[in-house]
Amino acid sequence: MMTPLVSLDKLSVHYPLGRRLLGKAPVLKAIDEVSLDIPKGSFFGLVGESGSGKTTLGRAILRAAPISGGHAKYRDGEVDYDLAELPKDKLRDFRKRAQLIFQDPYAALSPRMTVRDIIAEPLEVMGLTKSREETDARVREIAAKCRLNLEHLRRFPHAFSGGQRQRISIARALVTGPKFVVADESVAALDVSIQADILNLLKSLQSDLDLTFLFISHDLSVVAHVCDYVAVMYLGTLVEIAPTRELFARPKHPYTKALLSAIPSLDPDDTNQAQRLEGEVPSPANPPAGCRFHTRCPVAQAACSQSVPSLETGEDEVHRVACHFWKEHL
Amino acid sequence: MSTPLISVKDLTIRFQTDEGLITAVEDVAFDIAPGEVLGLVGESGSGKSVTAKALMQLNAGNTRYDPASHIMLNAPGHAPLDVLSLKHERDMILIRGGAISMIFQEPMASFAPAITVGDQMVEQLLLHSDMNRKRAREIAIEMLDRVGISEPAKRFAQYAFEFSGGMRQRAMIAMALSTKPKLLIADEPTTALDVTIQAQVIDLMKDLVAEFGMGILFITHDLGVIAQTADRVAVMYLGRIVETGAVRPVISRPAHPYTQGLLKALPRLDDLDAPLVPVPGDIPSPLERPPGCVFHTRCDRAIQGVCDQQVPGRTTVEDGHTARCFDLTKTSEVA
Repeated sequence: MMTPLVSLDKLSVHYPLGRRLLGKAPVLKAIDEVSLDIPKGSFFGLVGESGSGKTTLGRAILRAAPISGGHAKYRDGEVDYDLAELPKDKLRDFRKRAQLIFQDPYAALSPRMTVRDIIAEPLEVMGLTKSREETDARVREIAAKCRLNLEHLRRFPHAFSGGQRQRISIARALVTGPKFVVADESVAALDVSIQADILNLLKSLQSDLDLTFLFISHDLSVVAHVCDYVAVMYLGTLVEIAPTRELFARPKHPYTKALLSAIPSLDPDDTNQAQRLEGEVPSPANPPAGCRFHTRCPVAQAACSQSVPSLETGEDEVHRVACHFWKEHL
Repeated sequence: MSTPLISVKDLTIRFQTDEGLITAVEDVAFDIAPGEVLGLVGESGSGKSVTAKALMQLNAGNTRYDPASHIMLNAPGHAPLDVLSLKHERDMILIRGGAISMIFQEPMASFAPAITVGDQMVEQLLLHSDMNRKRAREIAIEMLDRVGISEPAKRFAQYAFEFSGGMRQRAMIAMALSTKPKLLIADEPTTALDVTIQAQVIDLMKDLVAEFGMGILFITHDLGVIAQTADRVAVMYLGRIVETGAVRPVISRPAHPYTQGLLKALPRLDDLDAPLVPVPGDIPSPLERPPGCVFHTRCDRAIQGVCDQQVPGRTTVEDGHTARCFDLTKTSEVA
């Protein structure tokens, strides 16, 4: 595996639920001891259903959600940061190195600012340019890379379609020259024909600008097409992680298998109902003991409700899975 | 062929706006037979929701239906009814929640937050039948049980916020079906749900079609969901049905360049090496509706002087499979 740009070691994000006079206050474990490496230059997919903690994990790495335990290292060759303990001056520097692209391009852009001002704002806030000319030059450069019509920089966002707005959001995220970009459901709100366009754009920007992407999505077909690695989350924990082809060809965790079989096939005769999951994701405020998936797992055994499975590495040394019995279900 | 349950002919819908008259739906025609699921696919702005709402006259006050438009409802045991001829709100009870029910994408927004789910179910049963409150309550609980909600009597007394997303959508379906509609309109019913829950809801809807024998108009942008639920499919672009037919031939041998484009843009799990090819260009603004074939501005097969001037008629590609295009020679085989 290549050197990791981001390396998580038992990273946790816990939110307190109310206060208690005596004893320990209950906590909501949004992320519980997640360890993974995001290789430099990779398109790293993070999948899971609502409430799995995928968004929180992305935000914790960006220091936009509070890290309550564990470590997150960021090393891009120029700097070496421990994100859990980053002093203010270094946090400012980190902000220009790591950026976020949001889901909804309609909500993410201020209707009162021109496209030029929207894209320029991060540069101005962080004081990265010295003159208006320099800012303009930088905005035009990144707008062109994102295939925006430069004539449009003077317009307001309402004049644009969903796909064009998402290109504006991407330009804003990339204007500070980040090395690491979190794309949180960045194509979920788009129609398929536009989705394909934005995915192609992200891939070409990745190689042009030498970026590392954390691509958060609930859509496994999209992830299968664009990502190099995929990590699957369930209720705040990592259940499986592997190179994309390997994961889709040989899923090992029962949850991953169920997720893959739930994708509606384009072939009407392929009704694949073998692994339908019963029920819904339990509340993260009161997760099941032992393996968090055991309440919905079709192959759960007694041990699953008692001990938490650790992430084990398969023979190929790249495929990791957190299940007590994964070897028995191959 | 048996009489269709609903027959839509020459449906043209325009909206009166400050910027002028906007055409949202043009010359749309389709039939749905009892027990049949028709999938309506299209991207945002294609007019699929406007079409569905017209069946229940739910479009806003600035809607203008073209005089040639007809929506004939043939509910068994009732005289045929032209939906668009209903002019008064008091007549709408015949269709809204009576012969036709609708389920929506966002079930949280569709339930009143301050009234229990059970009371909302009872209310409509009382409106649409002469049963008493006690009997309505029994039927509501029975329906909640039927859609797979555990402890239905307890859930009956709860509010929508106490339900999870998947359960709310099940309750929505239970409510829509409790009055035994002949036609169910499902507008993106699984879009807001996770895939594992989506799979459960799709299974449930298939079971219910088999059990109740109603017709379903299933609106979605997801071709995979269509393949798994619908018998026939109609593909809409900018207010027009560009291609229609049985699900298998339309998805495996799409004839219209737009349908072909949609399938090429779709990430497929059975071919991870296939490049994702976007449909070129952007969807035109409704104020600048292209003359001729509505798709010609984005079509790589557009013939100058033909496609930008004449509206293509319906051409039969194979039995029951039609498309509106002047160049149907290139039917691409998509595996």
